[in-house]
Order: sequence, then structure tokens, then C-alpha cells
Amino acid sequence: MTQQTAALDVQTVSPRTAIIRIAGDLTAAREAALMDAYNAAATAETRAVILDFTNLEYMNSTGIGLLVTLLVRANRQRQKLLACGFTDHYRQILELTRLDDAIGIHDTEADAITAAES
Amino acid sequence: MSTITQTVRRVLRRRPAAALEVDVDLEAVAGHEEFPPFDIAPDDPLLTYFAASAGAVQVDHLELDSPALRAMREAGVKVVVPLVSQGELIGLLNLGPRLSERDYSSDDRKLLEELATHAAPAIRVAQLVREQEAEARERERLQQELRVATLIQQQFLPKELPGLGGWQVAAYYQSAREVGGDFYDFIELPGDQVGIIVGDVTDKGVPAALVMATTHSLLRAEAPRLIEPGRVLERVNELLVDEMPPNMFVTCLYAVLDPATGRLRIANAGHNLPYVATADGPVELRARGLPLGLMAGMTYEEVQATLEPGEGMLLHSDGVAEAHNPEREMFGFPRLLDLVDRTLGGQELIDRILDELRAFTGAGWLQEDDITLVTLQRSSGAGHYDAGPATAAALTNGDAHELLAQFTVPSASGNERIVMDRVADALTGYDLDPARLERLKTAVAEATMNAMEHGNAYREDLPVAVRLYASETAVRVLITDHGGEGDIPEATTPDLEAKLAGLQSPRGWGLFLIQSMVDAVTTSHDGGRHTIELVLHTEGDSNASHPV
Repeated sequence: MTQQTAALDVQTVSPRTAIIRIAGDLTAAREAALMDAYNAAATAETRAVILDFTNLEYMNSTGIGLLVTLLVRANRQRQKLLACGFTDHYRQILELTRLDDAIGIHDTEADAITAAES
Repeated sequence: MSTITQTVRRVLRRRPAAALEVDVDLEAVAGHEEFPPFDIAPDDPLLTYFAASAGAVQVDHLELDSPALRAMREAGVKVVVPLVSQGELIGLLNLGPRLSERDYSSDDRKLLEELATHAAPAIRVAQLVREQEAEARERERLQQELRVATLIQQQFLPKELPGLGGWQVAAYYQSAREVGGDFYDFIELPGDQVGIIVGDVTDKGVPAALVMATTHSLLRAEAPRLIEPGRVLERVNELLVDEMPPNMFVTCLYAVLDPATGRLRIANAGHNLPYVATADGPVELRARGLPLGLMAGMTYEEVQATLEPGEGMLLHSDGVAEAHNPEREMFGFPRLLDLVDRTLGGQELIDRILDELRAFTGAGWLQEDDITLVTLQRSSGAGHYDAGPATAAALTNGDAHELLAQFTVPSASGNERIVMDRVADALTGYDLDPARLERLKTAVAEATMNAMEHGNAYREDLPVAVRLYASETAVRVLITDHGGEGDIPEATTPDLEAKLAGLQSPRGWGLFLIQSMVDAVTTSHDGGRHTIELVLHTEGDSNASHPV
């Protein structure tokens, strides 16, 4: 099982774009890790943050709550939130919750970077 | 004034735990020496005399046959002023001779009496504060001991029940406030057999928990090696006898079940008799044997039985039969036997026992002893299980539902994943579209989280019970918590805009998800327990939908 406290991998693609890779679980237990990662990813110049869910094992309703929190924060900082790597199941959940209206959903990291940089 | 140094010593022995010595040094007035503290025996006539004295007493004028008086005179005490607060003698003000070698004048005595009048209540307050502090420390110590005992106890209870094909296994454990020494366990044995233990250590708290831990470890070590239940208990008894603290022993029932044939062998070290539910009525399985750890060289009779399809067994500790109602009547074994007669086994039997027990003891019952219940039931016929009247309403078109899994998990953060994975494992080989399985998993995880959080307030001692049934057309999952009568509120579509605007909590997606993922959600409650039932049809749209 994934360590709930494990830090999330953050990569800066360009001065405008950063990626947070969410491996394992996304639940309320990882709130601190996700917020730390966002702090590390988003500088004053950052315009887009991509959440890569390729290695997501499990996300529950509290994880969806975290995405909403992150969205609120990104909006406030005038940053765009994108996501990629969802399985069909979680993509369906994003659609149901209408979070896909607010978060740009892409198949791969490359697609998301192209969208972010354009 | 001569040396005035006095020791005020609590001399009354009525509250020995609170014995208190207060030294009041009046060197500011005069004097340098201090009398040694006097121990005055509770039956010394001097005490009665001082208690009744109105003021300062001149020691040389007293005529009493009192060892304490002699000790005082030897120490040079000339005047004693009893310190009395609210009619109770709480200490003495002892004075030596005046430095001027003159006797104490009536003015001196008046001054001393006045001093005593003011000092006594203050000293009494100090004594009370110390007593209260000591009591608070004692309370904290007891609570700490309780926490340790609970921790040890929970460490040794099985985290999950064994999955036995063709059998329903259910268990319930609830510790009493003082934490008794109940334990139960399942041990994997060679040849796909399973060992089942239910035991009870006399005594409570940490000592009982430690003996329980030792017994448990010995049983776990010896059972797979020796197999035969009689020999296992014999060996464990030999090992325990030398280690057992005085006045303690362990009652223990050990059963070995071959799930394939229903063959059951039991040996019993003084524990409650197991009840077997047969088509002809309940039967007690009697096997002779004394509790473990009492005497060396014990042998344990072994008894065999076969559980036929549909038949079940109940193992139980004293906590149920010996529970009292407000009229001090005992629940008793006949009531238990009657329940076994009416319900053959499984979770349903446990639920009924607990319901009946609650009805018997009434509200506000303080559980006197740990309660442990373990039930086994062999599936009837071709492994089909009649879900019984409590759940029959959800059966679709009379379609027979097979019980695929039944287990409990403690209410601890993250355990919803255990439930989700076990449900998925149990459905391996079942013809369910992978996308629909994913939806069921999400709904099960969310419902379990709700049960742990809202029903059981994340109390680890309150388990969430899960039952999974499947038929050709549908899968049903029942998730039960201790949430009482409260209904699950209607799921409404969370307002994303309000959440993004900070007008609503970012959370609150659980119920919406549950209802979006499965085809039907119903809730029910029964005797303090709350159940959510999720139904997912095997055929249907693989896309999830918004709740209607």
C-alpha cells in the first residue's frame, strides 16, 4: 500500500508550467503532501499546474474534495489546473462531479503540456 | 516566649490514604528546635481528650494513661493546642517550655488558641487539596491502565475473519469498560483445516490482558503442530501452569473444523459449552476439562460432531449469559439456546443475540464483562444462502443470492480500502464487467467510509460489518454500522460552483458518488445498527449516472 505521507513528485517543465505526479492514493490523508507539492510547483510565474494521475491507485470522495480545494487556490493565483493519466473509471467520476468543466483533462502528460503551453 | 516550633501532624487514622503531615515552623516568632513528629495510636485516650478540648492544654497537668502523652513529655512538650476544623481534630500545635523558663500565661494561651482557630481551617484546606490531588493521580493511573489493557487486547484480536468456502463465519467482540480477558482467534491448520479459539482470562485490566497475550501466543504456536484439540490444550496448560499469576486461570474452547466435510473436533478447558444448531433443535457440545493454568498434568476430553449443510455453531463468552437487567436477573443460557434454536448462525444470529440482550438489559446498561460471540454456519444445499427476512426485500425476482463474503473491519481511517479489495477479491471469477466492478468498488469504499465516520465515529472497537451476496443478475453489498436510527440523508448533487466560490465545503461528495455508482441504494436500521445496501445489476449501462 502506498505511504500516505509520501511526498509527491514535482517537476518544472518551463517557467510557466509545472507537473505534480500523484502516485498511490489521493485521499484527505494526503492533503498536506498535495498542498506542499503545489507550493513547490507554483511560483509567481507559473501559469499552469498539471496533475498527472497515471500512477493513481485509489481516489475517494475526500480526494475529490482536495481537487476542489486545489482548484479554488489555483483560481485565486490565476493559475490553470490540468490533469492527465486518469483511468476511464476516474475520468467518469470527474465528469459526474463536473470537475472536468473546471480542470482540463488530457490523456497524457505530453497532451497536457501542449495544452498548457499553448 | 520560649522556643515555639511545632509539628502539626495528622494523627487520625480514619483516612490513612490521606495521612498528611504539615510542618508549620514559627521561627519568625521565636525558637529553633523542632519536635520529632509524634505518632499517636488511633485508640490512644489522648486523642479523645484533645478532640474534646476547648483550647490550649498544659501537658504536665494531664493525668492519662497514654503512651503518646509520655512521648510528648519526654520530648519536652509543655503546651498542646488542638487544631480542630468542623468538629474534626486535624492536628496539634505542640510547644516546648518558654525561653524565660516561666509558665505560659493566660494571655499566651489565648494568643495560641486564636492562632489555632485561624490555622486549623487553612491546614484543613491544604489537606483537602492534597487528598484531591492524590485522587486525581489515582484516577489518571486507572485510566492509563485501561488504555494499556485495551491496546494489548486489540492487538491480539483477529483483524479479519477467515474466508471459508461454503461457510459463513461471523464474530463480535465488545470489551467491558474495565476490559476483561476475552479473546478469540482463527488459526490456519494443515490440510485446509481451521482452528477456532474462544477464551476468557479471569481477572480484568492489564494482568488479564498479559495472560491473554501469553495464552494466545502459546495456542498459536502449538495448534498447527499438534492439531488434535485435546493435545493442544494439554500442552498449553503445561506451559501456562508455571507462568500463571496466583488466582488466575484461563477458560478456553478450542475447535478444529474441516470446512470440506463439516467435521468438527472440540476440546474444552472450562469454557462455556458451544451450541450447535441442528434441524432438530440446538445441541450443547460437552467436553470435559479444567481451565488452563490451574493444575499441571490435566487431560482434555475430545468430542466430535459434524455440521451438516445449513447447520451452525455458536461459541460465546460469559458476557452475554451473565449480563444482568435492572432487576438483577441474569440473561442466562436458556435464552441463548433459544436464540440458536430460532436462528441457525451467521451474522444474523449475532445480530439477534445483541438485539435481545439490549432489550433485556434496557437502556443505560453498563456492560459488566467482555462479550465475545463467534458463529459458523455451513451453507445449505449447493451453497445457497437464504438471506432471511431482514434482507429478503432486496432480493430480485426471487433470485437466489449466494453469500460470497462476510467479514468485519475496525473503524479506522483507510480501512475502506480493505473492504473494497476484499469485495473485489470475492467477486473474482464472477461475471461482472470490469467497469461495473470499479463502480461497485468506489461505492463500497464510500459507504464504508460513511459507516466508519458517521455510524461508528471512527471508534476502532466498533466494527463495520460487510456482507456480499451475488446472484446471476445482481451483486448486493450490505454494510452495517452502529449508527442507530439516523437515516442517511438524500444525496443531492453537490454544487460545484458554490464550492469553487468558497460558499460550500469542498468536501461532501460521498453520498453523491455512492448513488451515481450503483443501481440501487437502500438503508435500514435495526436495534441500534444501521445498514446501507448497494445493488449493482450485472447487466446494464457501464456508464455511471447521476442519481435520480
